[in-house]
Amino acid sequence: MARIGTDSAGHKDGTRPRFSVLRVSVYAAALLIVVAWGFILLDGDSGFSDLFRERTWQNAGRFVANLAGAGSDQPSPFVQPTRWLDTGRLAMNTLAMSVLAMGIAGVGALVLLMPGARSVSDGTLGGTPSRAGTAVYVATRAFYTLTRAIPELVWAMLIVFFLSPGILPGALALGIHNLGIVGRLTSEVVENLDPAPARALRSAGASSPKVLLYGVFPQALPMFLTFLMYRWEVVIRTTVVVGFLNAGGLGREFRLRMSWFHYDDVGMLLVWYLLLVVAVDVLSAQLRRRVRWE
Amino acid sequence: MSTRLESWLTGPRLLTLGIVAAMAWSLSRVDWQQPVAHTGGGAAALKVLLALFPPDLAPDFLMICVVASWHTLAYAVAGMSLAVALGLPMGVLASGVLASTANGSRTRRRASMVAVRFALAAMRSVHELVWALLFVAAVGLSPMAAILAMAIPYAGILGRIYAELLQDVPPEPVAALKTTGASPLRVLLYGYFPMALPDLLSYTFYRLECGIRAAAIMSFVGIDGIGFQIELSLADLLFRQVWTLLIFLVALVVAVDWWSGRVRRSMAY
Repeated sequence: MARIGTDSAGHKDGTRPRFSVLRVSVYAAALLIVVAWGFILLDGDSGFSDLFRERTWQNAGRFVANLAGAGSDQPSPFVQPTRWLDTGRLAMNTLAMSVLAMGIAGVGALVLLMPGARSVSDGTLGGTPSRAGTAVYVATRAFYTLTRAIPELVWAMLIVFFLSPGILPGALALGIHNLGIVGRLTSEVVENLDPAPARALRSAGASSPKVLLYGVFPQALPMFLTFLMYRWEVVIRTTVVVGFLNAGGLGREFRLRMSWFHYDDVGMLLVWYLLLVVAVDVLSAQLRRRVRWE
Repeated sequence: MSTRLESWLTGPRLLTLGIVAAMAWSLSRVDWQQPVAHTGGGAAALKVLLALFPPDLAPDFLMICVVASWHTLAYAVAGMSLAVALGLPMGVLASGVLASTANGSRTRRRASMVAVRFALAAMRSVHELVWALLFVAAVGLSPMAAILAMAIPYAGILGRIYAELLQDVPPEPVAALKTTGASPLRVLLYGYFPMALPDLLSYTFYRLECGIRAAAIMSFVGIDGIGFQIELSLADLLFRQVWTLLIFLVALVVAVDWWSGRVRRSMAY
């Protein structure tokens, strides 16, 4: 894992200037840590002292036992095949929500692929630089920053205001947030790719869609798919959280069971959740390898 | 299997087909029977959008925003520092650099590496909010529960990346250090850490931005912060306040992003 998001325009000679930013930042971070912890611990009911009480740990232990099915007079859901089927259906909805979210993010990032890349608007990839192109570039990047900065859950809070509950609003919330992340990464790939093929196509008289199709896509698509797969691993974990807001799937059921204190059901939902996470991790690793082999 | 079928199975066509099929399947799971939007959803959307002009800029509300932003930042920093404190030792153990390569300890070293790696994977496979809900149910609502809930998955991610970064350290200086008879701890402190430090710091700072977002949504279990205020304002249908809070959230994330970008650039060589 190389430095993420850094450019190569660092200080090659490693002289003084690289230290000043770093030193100030490290001191600032240390100060921030001390102040933040001081603020939280001095607040009185931070719950820090509870960590050293025996009762806290007893409660935690009892809770874990309840998750496994103890402490309930009903027959455990773990031994009822119908319960597994019902919750499995919810897990499928959660999976569908994550796939749909990746679809929304992927399609959005593809549509904004060219407008969001500086090398398109400034003419590096052939074509003439224009003020309108620059304006579109700035607007696209601002849009990415905005969608990225607002967490999925806040998007979901806003979206459930307009859309009927179901997997669609959840997928939309996840899709918008991840569009900001995937879109920015992909645009940076377009900016960094070899401009020669696109330029050659352009000077041979190819139209813009053709330049995109034959000059940019072949180089950018493998990285684009890799990013999508990476994000998918993150998204499947978050899908449950978005589901808390009536968006269906495992998350909604999880929240309901929590508020009803049906901890054995919660335990079962957690099992499905972990199965989904592991399955998506494995699948995504396989797909990423496949993409890179081309 | 014929080579033709084989190339088809490994080629891009199967992948394309798979992606299209997955998309079609996910769309088929959406309940298209009910209307997509609420009745009056469009009008509500318009109302929310118009509330941006202007957002709520009353001084007392701005004060609430500042305090909420500080809470979010403080929880993010506390959670991240705890995650580093937890993730760094686990990352060192998972990378296997600390174990001496003396005879007989090979299998034990492998076993401990696998165990720590498994623990890290388990920690990060559960989302921080799910951890938070579990903690609240288990030990009750408190800022500490939220900080722990955030620190656990983040430690899982940091530990894994730290382990990979430590393993990527060039082996020659480490080997040179070992031939002088340095103990594993010394090799770690004077060989691995100095060489991996820029990357370790880079990644930690990069994660801080995600930590801000995570802290903001800890509101879900009732921890004060920007997300909590957004929830309150939404519940009261005060959309102008929602916009102000969103502006604060975006500003906070962009500021931290800018800072971590500066730090990362200053260490790029």
